[in-house]
Amino acid sequence: MEGILQTFGLDWPKFISQVIIVLIVYVILSKYAFGPVLAMLEARRRRISEGETNLKTIEAELNKAEEKVQGMLNQANADAERLITEARESAESVRGQKTQEAIKEAQQIIEKAREASRLEHESAMNELKRDFGRLVIDATSKVTGKVLDDKDQKRINEETAGQVAL
Amino acid sequence: MFSLDTISPLIAAGGINAPEIPALGWLTNSILVASIVTVAVLAFTRMATRRMELIPGPKQNLVEYVVEFLYGQVEGIVGKHVAPKAFPLLATLFIFILSSNWFGLLPGVGTVGFGHKVAALSVDSSHVDAGGHHTFVPLLRPATADLNMTLALAAVFMLVWFYLSIRELGVWGTLVHIFGPKGGLQGPLKYALMPIFFFVGLIEVVSIIFRPMSLSLRLLGNIFAGETLLHTMGGLGATIGLPSWLAWISTVVFPLPFYFMEILVGALQATVFSLLCAVYIKLATTHDGEEHH
Repeated sequence: MEGILQTFGLDWPKFISQVIIVLIVYVILSKYAFGPVLAMLEARRRRISEGETNLKTIEAELNKAEEKVQGMLNQANADAERLITEARESAESVRGQKTQEAIKEAQQIIEKAREASRLEHESAMNELKRDFGRLVIDATSKVTGKVLDDKDQKRINEETAGQVAL
Repeated sequence: MFSLDTISPLIAAGGINAPEIPALGWLTNSILVASIVTVAVLAFTRMATRRMELIPGPKQNLVEYVVEFLYGQVEGIVGKHVAPKAFPLLATLFIFILSSNWFGLLPGVGTVGFGHKVAALSVDSSHVDAGGHHTFVPLLRPATADLNMTLALAAVFMLVWFYLSIRELGVWGTLVHIFGPKGGLQGPLKYALMPIFFFVGLIEVVSIIFRPMSLSLRLLGNIFAGETLLHTMGGLGATIGLPSWLAWISTVVFPLPFYFMEILVGALQATVFSLLCAVYIKLATTHDGEEHH
């Protein structure tokens, strides 16, 4: 074995120096290269993992927020529908009330007008009766040539008025 | 009779022994390259990881990509539990071997060096002295084309492998894991088969002892062969007697396809070395109960 190694150029002091070189590379690379790089890779992996977790949390919160917004929209729509219905009902009620009031007022106006017309009619009739009575008295006095006293005039008036009241 | 010396003219400049650099005394060209690769790898990773940020820059991004990719591969083989402990070693081995292998393909590695001067800027790289030793000493040589380096890599791995095995299973657990009955055997059959499992354990120990050799010689063989191939292809034009201008062109054309192949081989050998190490760790740290899953 020793002969083979010598043939292939093994020289123990030089071999030991090569071992030392390899050990130096091993130790320094382990300490200053692989350690920090692996730590950095781990830190980056953790950061990405945290990012993924945060992303999922954000997505969940977004879904919750969207659900909440949808709920609020639904509630707002329901409230709006209710308010519109209430407003419509209220408007219907007010309109009915106002219509009734208007009808009532119109009836009152008609009644008043009718009453006024009746009164005016009565007044006109009374005046007509008086004028008619006076005309009848004048005609009677002229036809008869008799001066009618108050009693006659009253009687003629009443008779005339009674006939005209038809 | 076959010996390495008989094929020495085809072996890369400097032969299989990593020669000492004349101007630098004890330091071999292989140790010099290993040191350069070490400094380069450490400097780049330090630059990339000095100020780590969640949003990485280009250098940090590259290092993170490499580390993440390697970690995924290691975790897939050794499991989630052992991966954090085994990853630094396996990643170090892969990155260092890959860098060293590819460094050997840079221009000047294995071709610039010390030797007999034959022209203003040329030395004779094929000269062999009276003792049969190459007199041309390249300044740089792929670190993984030197057994000292590949064996050092395997030795460091075996040390960490041993530590991980003991830490994961304990001394007794490791012994039971190697020599004990497997497959969840119970009752009389378990005791009847114990001698067989003990014998299998002995074979397993022998294979463990030979692991450093198989790991180191496989890597050495492939990279050294690649280096030799490139040198041989580079000098093939002159060897077969082409005219000098054609021989000069052939030094570029002939090795070119093999450069692409060596890029692949460099990555492949780094992968094979690391992969086998990962499998060895997996085999040694798997609890018997886990084997049935």
